Amino acid sequence: MLTANKKVDKLLTLYLPLTMLLSFTIFPIYWTINTAFKPEGDIIKRPLQYLPVNPTTENFVTAWTNVGFATFFKNSLIVGVSTVLVVLICSTLSGYALSRYQFKGKRSFMIMLLCTQFIPRAMMIIPLFVIFKNLGLISNPLSLIITYTAIEIPFTTILMSGFISNVPKELEEAAMIDGCSKLQSLRHVVFPLLLPGIVATGVFTFIYTWNEFLIALMLTNQQSKFTLPVGLSTMLGEFSINYGALAAGSVIALIPAVILFAYAQKHLVNGMGGAVKG
Amino acid sequence: MSLSQGVTETVINSEKTVKRKNIKKDRWVPYLFILPSFLIILGFLFYPIATVFYYSVQHYDVSAPYYNGFAGLENFKEIFTNDKMFIPSLINSLKWVVTEVGLQLVFGMILALLLNQTFKFRGLVRAVAFIPWAISGVLASTMWSLMFNEHMGVLNDLLMKLGIIDEPQAFLASTSTAFTSVIIAELWRGIPFFAITLLASLSSIPNELYEAAKVDGASRWKSFIYVTLPQLKNTIVLTTLLRVVWEFNNVDLLFNLTGGGPAHSTTTLTMYIADLAVHGSNFGYGSALTVVSFGILLVFAILYLKLSRYEKE
Amino acid sequence: MFKKKMTTSLLALTLGTSMLLAGCGGEEKAATKTTKKAETKSEEPVTLQFWDENAGPARTPVWEEVIKRFEEKNPNIDVEYVGIPNSSAKSKYDAAIAADDTPDIGSMQTTWLPEFSIREALLPLDSYFKKSEISKKINPSATGVNKKITQDGKLYGIPYAQNLDALWIRTDWFEQAGVQEPKTWDEFFTVIEKMRDEANNRYGFTIRGGAGASFTIQRAMFAYSGLDFFDKNGKTNINDPKHVEFVEKYFSYYDKLTPKSDITNGYKEMIAGFDTGVVAMVHHNPGSYGEHNKALPAGSYKLIPLPTTEKGQYVAEGGNAVNLAIFKSTEHADEAWKFVEFVNSEEAQSYWNQQTGQIPTNSDVLDDEWVQDAQHIKTAFEVYNDPDTKLYEPPFYLPDYRAILDGVVDPGVQAVMSGKMSAKDFLDEWAKAIEDSKEKYDKTFKK
Repeated sequence: MLTANKKVDKLLTLYLPLTMLLSFTIFPIYWTINTAFKPEGDIIKRPLQYLPVNPTTENFVTAWTNVGFATFFKNSLIVGVSTVLVVLICSTLSGYALSRYQFKGKRSFMIMLLCTQFIPRAMMIIPLFVIFKNLGLISNPLSLIITYTAIEIPFTTILMSGFISNVPKELEEAAMIDGCSKLQSLRHVVFPLLLPGIVATGVFTFIYTWNEFLIALMLTNQQSKFTLPVGLSTMLGEFSINYGALAAGSVIALIPAVILFAYAQKHLVNGMGGAVKG
Repeated sequence: MSLSQGVTETVINSEKTVKRKNIKKDRWVPYLFILPSFLIILGFLFYPIATVFYYSVQHYDVSAPYYNGFAGLENFKEIFTNDKMFIPSLINSLKWVVTEVGLQLVFGMILALLLNQTFKFRGLVRAVAFIPWAISGVLASTMWSLMFNEHMGVLNDLLMKLGIIDEPQAFLASTSTAFTSVIIAELWRGIPFFAITLLASLSSIPNELYEAAKVDGASRWKSFIYVTLPQLKNTIVLTTLLRVVWEFNNVDLLFNLTGGGPAHSTTTLTMYIADLAVHGSNFGYGSALTVVSFGILLVFAILYLKLSRYEKE
Repeated sequence: MFKKKMTTSLLALTLGTSMLLAGCGGEEKAATKTTKKAETKSEEPVTLQFWDENAGPARTPVWEEVIKRFEEKNPNIDVEYVGIPNSSAKSKYDAAIAADDTPDIGSMQTTWLPEFSIREALLPLDSYFKKSEISKKINPSATGVNKKITQDGKLYGIPYAQNLDALWIRTDWFEQAGVQEPKTWDEFFTVIEKMRDEANNRYGFTIRGGAGASFTIQRAMFAYSGLDFFDKNGKTNINDPKHVEFVEKYFSYYDKLTPKSDITNGYKEMIAGFDTGVVAMVHHNPGSYGEHNKALPAGSYKLIPLPTTEKGQYVAEGGNAVNLAIFKSTEHADEAWKFVEFVNSEEAQSYWNQQTGQIPTNSDVLDDEWVQDAQHIKTAFEVYNDPDTKLYEPPFYLPDYRAILDGVVDPGVQAVMSGKMSAKDFLDEWAKAIEDSKEKYDKTFKK
């Protein structure tokens, strides 16, 4: 049983700050959902409607059917999942090298990783376009997968190297003494401990690809290959702003991300703390 | 997932005594490990970055090819002697980056610590708390501009209902509130980034460390300072560094909410570059500015890693 | 030590790059080979790629219907629609042209024509146009502008819809207040004062101060003065005393008689102000009809022309149109022209413009019943059709034209609105930017 003191303590250190932070987080989301269910005319009508007075699903229909959302959704999934896989492989390997080895050129490699992030993406569009045109990959999801991988690797490598450093090296060595080969020791000992890190890295990568707009627009010349953010941005034209359809489309676009978070958050506790306790 | 007690004990006991193993034998291994990443970056980012450097010494305007040609250092001379926008936009960039990253880190840390505790519906709360990170730039900027709106914005409506303001405010229109408003919107989107990374790192801190601290009679605050922070240090240093670089180059909310106005009061250096290069198609001059900002970020990164004593105890 | 590192990394770099380049070369050859093969093999079915520069739920389905009708008439031609979000369309074209990977047909604003043609991306359409039936129907002043603004005087785009700056007003409020629609600019300013209703939190007018402010102020001040863009000596009239007088007065209303948020108003915010019942009058064009229709009861609003000059003349900016252009890179110019011709036919223009609320350029369409019934289209058309209407032509051909609007005029408007700059200094700066750019351009082309 909690004593009164403990209750107050929990209120002050947990529930109160959490409620404050969450209200800030939730409010715009609530407003988006609220907007998504209003008929077009009601969205900018005063007095404001905190709940839709004439709730409707027409915005969802518009978003889903009028501009080919289903296709965009599928394209985004393909690009997102593939990028996550490639990024995870590359960044786990390079993160491992960075955290476990001292080698010549390590610093240069780190600096190189950082340097790739210094240039605004808008400045890289035309050269990227030229590369993929020469490779014959314009409008091919591969061009996006490759570009996103290249752009995400620096961050994910650094992130992974941090997580790997947190796994005591001795654990790995102990496993090797037990007769595991390097790769096996990676798989059986290091990998499970790394799961939170891998999940976090995967989530970051997926969310990035899911929302990236500029490169996706520029490297795709076919309507049928557009990704979701490109489709969403057509909801705002100079002569028609479709707040409702934009909100509805975004709510649809949020679903995979929310599922992902719900899944990922479980793995953010089962790491080292849990393992050692067990 | 669990490990035998024996292994755990070896870990804890051997932590300080085991010396670094010499791994001369497989000297090529780290290179093999970084090879895929290295090749992808080299193959697909080297050329785009190199073109920026190349165009910085060129007059290169895609809309006026007849003016194009070698410029030498003219673009740079222009930046440092004649460009009235350069310094003010750089100052705005600094303001933007420092406030954004600072606040995101603090609130992200608080959120991560809260979400790391146990309470009912934690899974749901966590998933919800991360959502802003998953919202696309188009929606985030549209929703915030709708909410900030003077005539039909829900923020004005709420603040008036609560009696905080008497009449609708034009949040994005006055030099005194425009910057703060965009800061809040971007903060909303950026907190989960730190919360997720820090939460992932928090969950990899061995519980034994806390228990040991508890035995020593350390208060919650002390165990945060002496156990949590040191364990998170490398993560904090690196994510903060990357976040600085990203926020420096992040323009979408600024662009959509204030367009850099009123009267350039929210124009950051990257926004200025995007205006020149993408909308004005003056890639030569835009590239020169990019090279300058590249230099600034590089110097910052090196100094920051040195000063933060990254990877050192 | 450092040197050694450098050399190794340089070595690695060159190695990697040469690997990449080798890869590129091979792929490229293979790619071109296959496309060529495909073309020679199949004479009949032709696929044309078409880019729409203002895609969205409002326009995309309309284009798809137009394309469907075209394909029914031309079973061997397949038009592939690519809808590009409006705000990124110019950059998308820029990248495509720079990398030489353009579509067959593109929809584009008139202001882009001179730039794209001088970058040798577009196909001149004069001979096609001359031979076609549509040359007799399309508004000659619109095609005239398109020719005038390009470096070589050729026709690179066929205007399929026009637009016109005008005022949307709340007729119901005007009636209640017993205020007449403004016919002159003096009346316009009086209306702003009269329609201010503090009790109901209503304003007479909203100023566009954010994105796109430059277009609005330019069109308003030339509508007031009735001047040409350049005088006889080739100097710009931007900072003519008449404009100074107008701009001073226009912006003096800000924050007293118009909303405070005007200074960062873009299209969205401005239209929202009108549609939420906060402002009585807004300077936009018939294109926003759909938005008002959604939010306001029928009959409570209408479109009126911008006020006239002192001499009673309407003024319109030349080149306020959207065009279809064919890209030089196309392998199917004849088929592409067929599509351009079809879009500009009475049938297609009628359908397209009715659905999107724009002004048709094909004179046959103007007799259609829906045009007669659509108050906003009819009003705009009457302005274009009035023989006294003055058209002034901004120098779209200057490569900096757009950059000046974005970089000098937009921030200048905000500086004047916030009292940091006088109207005169603002217009002088704008005029100087235009003149510097023109001088450089004239020198290059030895005009």
